[in-house]
Amino acid sequence: MTDQPLRIRMTYAKLGNLRFVGHLDLQRLFERALRRTNLPLRYTQGFNPHLRINLASALPLGFIGEAEQMDFWLDQEVSLDEVSNRLRASLPVELVLQELQVIDNQQPSLQGSLLSSEYEILLPADLDIQTLQEKVDKLLALDALPVQRRKKTVDLKNLILQMEFFKSEPQSLLKVAMKSTPEENGRPDELLELLGLDPADCQVTRTKLNFSEE
Amino acid sequence: MQTIDTKQLEKILYHVEKPGRYVGGEHNQILKDWDAIRTHVCLVFPDIYDIGQPNLGLAILYDILNRQPDIMAERAFTPWHDLEAQLREHQIPLFSLETKHPLAQFDIIGLSLPYESLYTNALNVLDLAGIPLLASERTNNDPLIIAGGQACFNPEPMADFIDAFVVGEGEEVTLELIRAFEELKQSGSDRKGLLQGLSRIPGVYVPSLYSVHYAQDGTIISILPSDPSVPAIVTKRIVSKLPPHPTRLVVPNVETVHDRLSIEIMRGCTRGCRFCHAGVVNRPVRERTVEEILQVIEDGLAATGYEDVGLLSLSSSDHTQILELTRLVYEKFHDRKVFVSLPSLRIASFSVELMDELRDLRPGGGFTLAPEAASPRLQAIINKPLDNEVFEETVRTVFEHGWLTLKLYYMIGLPGETMEDVQAILDAGKRVLAIGRQLRGNRVKVHLSVGNFIPKPHTPFQWYPLNSTDELQTKLDMLKEGTRRTGLKLSYNIPDSTLLEAWLSRGDRRLGQVILRAWQLGAKFDAWGENENQPIWRQAFAEIGLDPDFYAYRERALDETLPWDHIHTGVTKVFLLRDLEWSKQGKTRKDCREQCFACGILDSFGKLRPVSPLVYWGCP
Repeated sequence: MTDQPLRIRMTYAKLGNLRFVGHLDLQRLFERALRRTNLPLRYTQGFNPHLRINLASALPLGFIGEAEQMDFWLDQEVSLDEVSNRLRASLPVELVLQELQVIDNQQPSLQGSLLSSEYEILLPADLDIQTLQEKVDKLLALDALPVQRRKKTVDLKNLILQMEFFKSEPQSLLKVAMKSTPEENGRPDELLELLGLDPADCQVTRTKLNFSEE
Repeated sequence: MQTIDTKQLEKILYHVEKPGRYVGGEHNQILKDWDAIRTHVCLVFPDIYDIGQPNLGLAILYDILNRQPDIMAERAFTPWHDLEAQLREHQIPLFSLETKHPLAQFDIIGLSLPYESLYTNALNVLDLAGIPLLASERTNNDPLIIAGGQACFNPEPMADFIDAFVVGEGEEVTLELIRAFEELKQSGSDRKGLLQGLSRIPGVYVPSLYSVHYAQDGTIISILPSDPSVPAIVTKRIVSKLPPHPTRLVVPNVETVHDRLSIEIMRGCTRGCRFCHAGVVNRPVRERTVEEILQVIEDGLAATGYEDVGLLSLSSSDHTQILELTRLVYEKFHDRKVFVSLPSLRIASFSVELMDELRDLRPGGGFTLAPEAASPRLQAIINKPLDNEVFEETVRTVFEHGWLTLKLYYMIGLPGETMEDVQAILDAGKRVLAIGRQLRGNRVKVHLSVGNFIPKPHTPFQWYPLNSTDELQTKLDMLKEGTRRTGLKLSYNIPDSTLLEAWLSRGDRRLGQVILRAWQLGAKFDAWGENENQPIWRQAFAEIGLDPDFYAYRERALDETLPWDHIHTGVTKVFLLRDLEWSKQGKTRKDCREQCFACGILDSFGKLRPVSPLVYWGCP
């Protein structure tokens, strides 16, 4: 075991049936997929060693992720081509490997440096676009958008960084960027509810994660 | 063929708990092209995914059937209440996980029935699939409904609903059944002809081809086939040698009850405990070799990525090469960061040694021993003799070798049990706790886990009645009182919770109406909770006009025709009667590897016994 493990950042898409697999289950799924690769994986020290992995951010159930990220560590140098080949063979078909990068061990964790997420929301086909446009405009004009989360009230307005509405046939598209820090995490399903839409009727895709530059 | 509307399903899945249960897409699931396949089989385990998916029987059949290029086997489970409500509201039929085809579009539905509390769920599954519940109401356009599993050694209570039962081990007969089905279909057989054809396959029981005659008092006069081509007795199937173990197991995407690589190292048991259904119906003993087991672990870990391995059998310490196995498992896997569990160990210091061989591969937690009865007299009655010195020595070894928690399994309600025998459980618990505390101090925990005995079909105890609720309650009260302020932890089942299993496991064909009525009245998931469904079942019995006590509390005459007498496990009734007699005399039998007691297995299956000494059958 070296003191300088190889830190690898994987970008992946979570699609299809796997949208319905929650965050904790996904973590376990990755652990097993990584074990199937037979790569020299890094484990945590201690009595009950665990595979060392770090997922950037939980993706809510039902959402597609197009560019999710995760770090894992290897105890030995292995070429990224080799890692990529083995991972492709061991991931379930609906978890698609997109990119691998070697990351400096000194860099902060994914979770710690995540700032925001970008979403594309495909709206139901039978919506009256005019009404929706008005609702969107009205929302954007308001000073505050309070939503209830368990026992506290959160101002969604603070969490929305950008929002654009694209009219199109048959389904219109809403693009939104929201804060995604541990303290302030925007949830597109809450936004949809404010617009009077059932998130189950919309298809939400997280298209991008934005991290702080360091 | 049409799949269900998956867009609609996706919307619904937003509103249910743990939707990952319902979508498939796991690593190692097998997807085939529906239209290119001749025969479509849906394997259904009628409990929720979390419980059904880890079932090894399901995995074995999924593997065997999907190896055939012209057969596809998919999976379905019972949806939890929330999804069921949504499916009914939106009129979506129950569907397979892989290709999302409605169950009604499959050629064959294979139901797993390992225990009786799944019967109402099985009806619920058929109903959610839009398939007629009664076999008599199905037509050529409906799938063939087959069932197998340990509960099917008494198939009668489910006879109204199942077209054909597979009795015994399914590895060979399932494929024979499917091939016969294909031929009969091709030759244009109607449903009756199809079922008659299937009934000629050894190990296949087609209940509609038998009629049952009852006496005035409700006992059975006869169970007879309706035509001479149908066998009067259906003998279970066995495989002469355990077939290759599946390794490319489906790896669940959501957490399940036994989330691990389960490997069957041995089938059958030679101990002859008289209460044990599994010990009779799974004879003879067949082992896998150490080399094979090591290879299955190797291949299984590579194919699944699991971190836990379970080496399963009815009595693992009895595997002839078990010590070598544990040594080599340690040698080969100790640097792989896996845990290896070895449950079902005999009470002997040797079992502790086996666990020691595994060293840091063994998972944390306590050590479990199952004396089942605590007094020498009762131990002799059930043929599980246990020398007290051996017991205490084993217990001492467990504590000395690092364990701080010891769990002891006992039963109450055994034949011939008195309050002194119940007191003996308490005494044993206290002695074990004292030994533990003396060796390891107050950190030691001793846990008494007490189950209610049910006399099961095909065992030497099949004629006995179940203890009444009052009797069981009195015994439990003694245990509760006796463990108070002792430091012993007690867990138990409330007496009534055993009744449903007793009725259904010991029942006859007339119970079909009761099961149907109970399901109509809302019974399902009968294994869940503390028998909340019991009032429903009592109402169903009352409406149908059957007395539940007739099934649970009646001592059966030794010459009575039992509802399962036409199902032959290979063990003869003559042997069971003799063993019952021995039990009454307090006579024990040795492990039958040392001496053959002529149970009948060799008469029934001796011809299948491999001549090669490489394959071990326990029989001498």
